[in-house]
Amino acid sequence: MFLINCPYCGERDQSEFSAGGEAHIVRPKQPTELSDDEWAEFLFMRKNIKGIQFERWNHAHGCRKWFNVIRDTSNDKIHAVYKMGEEPPIK
Amino acid sequence: MLNYNSPIMETKEYPDIKISEVEPILKINLRGKNRDFVTKVGKELSIIPPVDPNTSSSNEKLNLLWLSPDEWFLYSNNKIELKDSNFLEDSLFNEISKKKLGSVTNVSDHWVKINLSGTKIFDLLSAGCPFNFSNFKNSKGAVTQTLVNHIDVIIHNKNTNELNLFVRRSFSMHLWSWLNDSARFI
Repeated sequence: MFLINCPYCGERDQSEFSAGGEAHIVRPKQPTELSDDEWAEFLFMRKNIKGIQFERWNHAHGCRKWFNVIRDTSNDKIHAVYKMGEEPPIK
Repeated sequence: MLNYNSPIMETKEYPDIKISEVEPILKINLRGKNRDFVTKVGKELSIIPPVDPNTSSSNEKLNLLWLSPDEWFLYSNNKIELKDSNFLEDSLFNEISKKKLGSVTNVSDHWVKINLSGTKIFDLLSAGCPFNFSNFKNSKGAVTQTLVNHIDVIIHNKNTNELNLFVRRSFSMHLWSWLNDSARFI
């Protein structure tokens, strides 16, 4: 259990949120020109690193807005929270 | 609005806690993003939609709660006749939905309003809720959406030691049972 600072509602318990997987995955501009392997790479392959990861979260039981979180998966420490469309504050 | 059949129709009292269902009241969900939408809602309701998170605006008849940056929840203070609710819904619909400024949805049958009063209501909610009520309970008009016993609720801090809780109709009996069960041990 940990707290997430929703950029709209403020600090809330993690149980109010749902995780939406890795952030900043760009959809290919011409999917029809990709091979099956490249398309599968885009659709299914996600990082699952031990350390700092860029993730999407949804405040499902609050404002229902999506946003991005930079989280250390080894200790659940959240380094930054930022809205969709914004640049990550940490590279 | 459908023919309204209240799911609970009860009032329960415990030491320092009173729980009652208040129905039928008008509830309307408002969604919109641009400035014209906010202006039009303010003109129709005589209430400006609050833009600060977790806040509300009220007048003697209506309350407008902030739900998200582009969503508000309107409910009436008092029990309301069907014809009155249709009038308000129609005027909002004609001025907002039809003019494509936003959306107006009558959710009177979707949500059930439960009024809690007494000095231990926050102790009761805290028994099954991850939300920190320490600042909330001192802020009149504060609003939060959270979970109580894993059930989605909207909570409006109406007055000192009095709040209105909205729960989806299908979960209302379950939450009602939990509130009454937990209140016995507070």
